[in-house]
Amino acid sequence: MKILLIEDDDDTAQYVAKGLRQSGHAVERVRDGNDGLALAKDNAHDIIILDRMLPGMDGLSLAKQLRESGSQTPILFLTTMGGVGDRVEGLEAGGDDYLVKPFALAELIARVNSLTRRSQRTGAEQQTTLRVGDLEMDLIARTVSRHGRLIELQPQEFKLLEYLVRHEGRVVTRTMLIENVWELHFDPQTNIVESHMSRLRTKVDKDFSIQLIQTIRGTGYILRGN
Amino acid sequence: MEIRLLRTESFRLTAIFAVLFVGATLILSGVLYAIVDSAFKSEIILNARQDLAAVKKGYDAEGIGEATEVVNQRLARPTTSDFLLLQNAAGQRVAGNLPAVTPVIGTVRLPVPTARKDDHGAEHRILGRGQFIAPGVYAFAGQNLAVLKATEHKALRAIGWTLAAALIFAVAGGIALSRGFLRRMDTMTQTCQAIMAGRLSDRIPEPGTQDELARLASTINAMLDRISTLMENVRQISTDIAHDLRTPLTRLRHRLELVSAEATTVEEYGVAVDRVIADTDGILSIFSALLRIGQIEAGAARASFRQVDLDKVVKSLADIYGPVAEDRKHVLAIPVIEPAKVLGDRELLSQMLVNLIENAIAHTPDRTRITIDLRMTEAGASMRIADNGPGIPAGEREKVFRRFYRLEQGRSTPGSGLGLSLVAAITQIHGATIELTDNAPGLCATIAFPKCR
Ligand SMILES: Nc1ncnc2c1ncn2[C@@H]1O[C@H](COP(=O)(O)OP(=O)(O)OP(=O)(O)O)[C@@H](O)[C@H]1O
Ligand SMILES: [Mg+2]
Repeated sequence: MKILLIEDDDDTAQYVAKGLRQSGHAVERVRDGNDGLALAKDNAHDIIILDRMLPGMDGLSLAKQLRESGSQTPILFLTTMGGVGDRVEGLEAGGDDYLVKPFALAELIARVNSLTRRSQRTGAEQQTTLRVGDLEMDLIARTVSRHGRLIELQPQEFKLLEYLVRHEGRVVTRTMLIENVWELHFDPQTNIVESHMSRLRTKVDKDFSIQLIQTIRGTGYILRGN
Repeated sequence: MEIRLLRTESFRLTAIFAVLFVGATLILSGVLYAIVDSAFKSEIILNARQDLAAVKKGYDAEGIGEATEVVNQRLARPTTSDFLLLQNAAGQRVAGNLPAVTPVIGTVRLPVPTARKDDHGAEHRILGRGQFIAPGVYAFAGQNLAVLKATEHKALRAIGWTLAAALIFAVAGGIALSRGFLRRMDTMTQTCQAIMAGRLSDRIPEPGTQDELARLASTINAMLDRISTLMENVRQISTDIAHDLRTPLTRLRHRLELVSAEATTVEEYGVAVDRVIADTDGILSIFSALLRIGQIEAGAARASFRQVDLDKVVKSLADIYGPVAEDRKHVLAIPVIEPAKVLGDRELLSQMLVNLIENAIAHTPDRTRITIDLRMTEAGASMRIADNGPGIPAGEREKVFRRFYRLEQGRSTPGSGLGLSLVAAITQIHGATIELTDNAPGLCATIAFPKCR
């Protein structure tokens, strides 16, 4: 994947670029907002990582102008601005994801991967059934079965599984789950992810030889078909 | 005299009143003067008419001799006109105390025969009436105006003195008032300057009166008290922050020290580094909680408030936290959830609830029952989060809202003591109130929202 990193702080840029390169991405980095916009408009990148406070042009205006110019390249905001309303502002300006500094590299990489896949998937949003291996999710009837056997899930568990299935083969972090499945935008003190995940795994994986959901230590989870 | 004395508001007011007073007095005196003057003069004319009528009556009855008699009688009496004249057809004086004149009918002014000038050099005049009582026989009756003039002069002089005295009092009073005003203003200014210079505990003396300056002084003092409480809070908070961040930083340092002394293998280093990262994350999350509290207290989020279905928020959080509570062998129940709309920020309201739910999960022993009620009352939405755990002693219920404040027995559970501070900030920005009460046993937090129009 080709990633455009628009970030004025050298230390952060170096840290981010190194991490992304190690996980197999190509990174092009610019410091200035105006330069960033010019480069982004070329549509030569698969994803844009954007700081909010930049010299030249701030990240919000950059995102807005880029979207106005018709570009659909996914934007991931990477910023210290984590106040109430800041995230909404970023998403309304055209951002696809919003990560507040300080962050863990694993978190950033998981989100980048999630975004790049999302951009590849076109027109697949209207699916009514999701399938991974022998797991089948009917999004209309809201039923789940494995190997033809029906699995009873609570609504919260269904939402969690749907998210994992949609991110099949990719790491999802705790924060991604908290933000996207439960729509909480702060760090809870208790292990809500673990509580729900262990219930889900008992129901989905316990009686089967193939374990679909795996734990990635210190980072999150991954759902794989085989 | 200082110029600024004359510029004070009290002096200006006094001056205006003095001018108004003088003007009013002058007008009043003028009117009085005119009234008295004309009354006095008509009295003279009236007397003259009566005297002339008496003279005419005498003449008509018994001729010039009797008329002369009447004139002499009347001149002897004090109540009548003091000047009378009776002349025959030849124009010669027959009786009276005036020299013969060319007859003029009606109201007449004549010079006083003695021709003595008064103090002011004006000629005395006689005011009276002339009339022919028979063909060719002319009679005049009148009074000296000197009496009137003298009275009037006296009155005018009295008015003049009064005015002068009033003016002197006004100016003196104005100056005294302004002095007092200035003196009090000066103390206020000096106190403020002293405070600016760093003597923060100085206060403006309050005279105990009820006037506006006293009110201003007590208002300023109250404001200063409020500011100093706030400053004391801020100082307290920064001390607390410094103190409470030292603990995790010290732990971090110990850990690093241990690693550098004891770790030998790459694996050991790896484990240690992971722990250090976790510690650092803990410290960073304290910072972001502090920043968040500060940001919420600043109130900017109010701009994006909209209607939130609080019942939906509660239900979804109960769904999310049910399993978490269950894992701790707790029960989380929502017996009464009435539909309730609240003007606010959904994210903040969720966080408020999460903090309270997590407290009820974290600071209670296993098998605790946690209930959340939401009711719509006349006054607005009212939410209760109650548990039957150990509760918080009455004396501590205010203190737990302070930043970093944790109960002694709660020290073993993870946490930084910022959860309830955040809750307090969130309720406050929503115009809601939070009250902690005894659930006998346990803790009950009641949040009352204002009515959402
Ligand atoms: N439901 C409760 N039952 C008993 N004690 C409580 C309860 N809720 C709070 N407390 C006490 O009040 C203290 C302050 O609570 P607060 O939520 O502010 O901080 P914390 O929970 O210790 O840490 P944090 O919320 O920042 O993780 C707690 O440490 C605990 O001692
Ligand atoms: Mg707490």
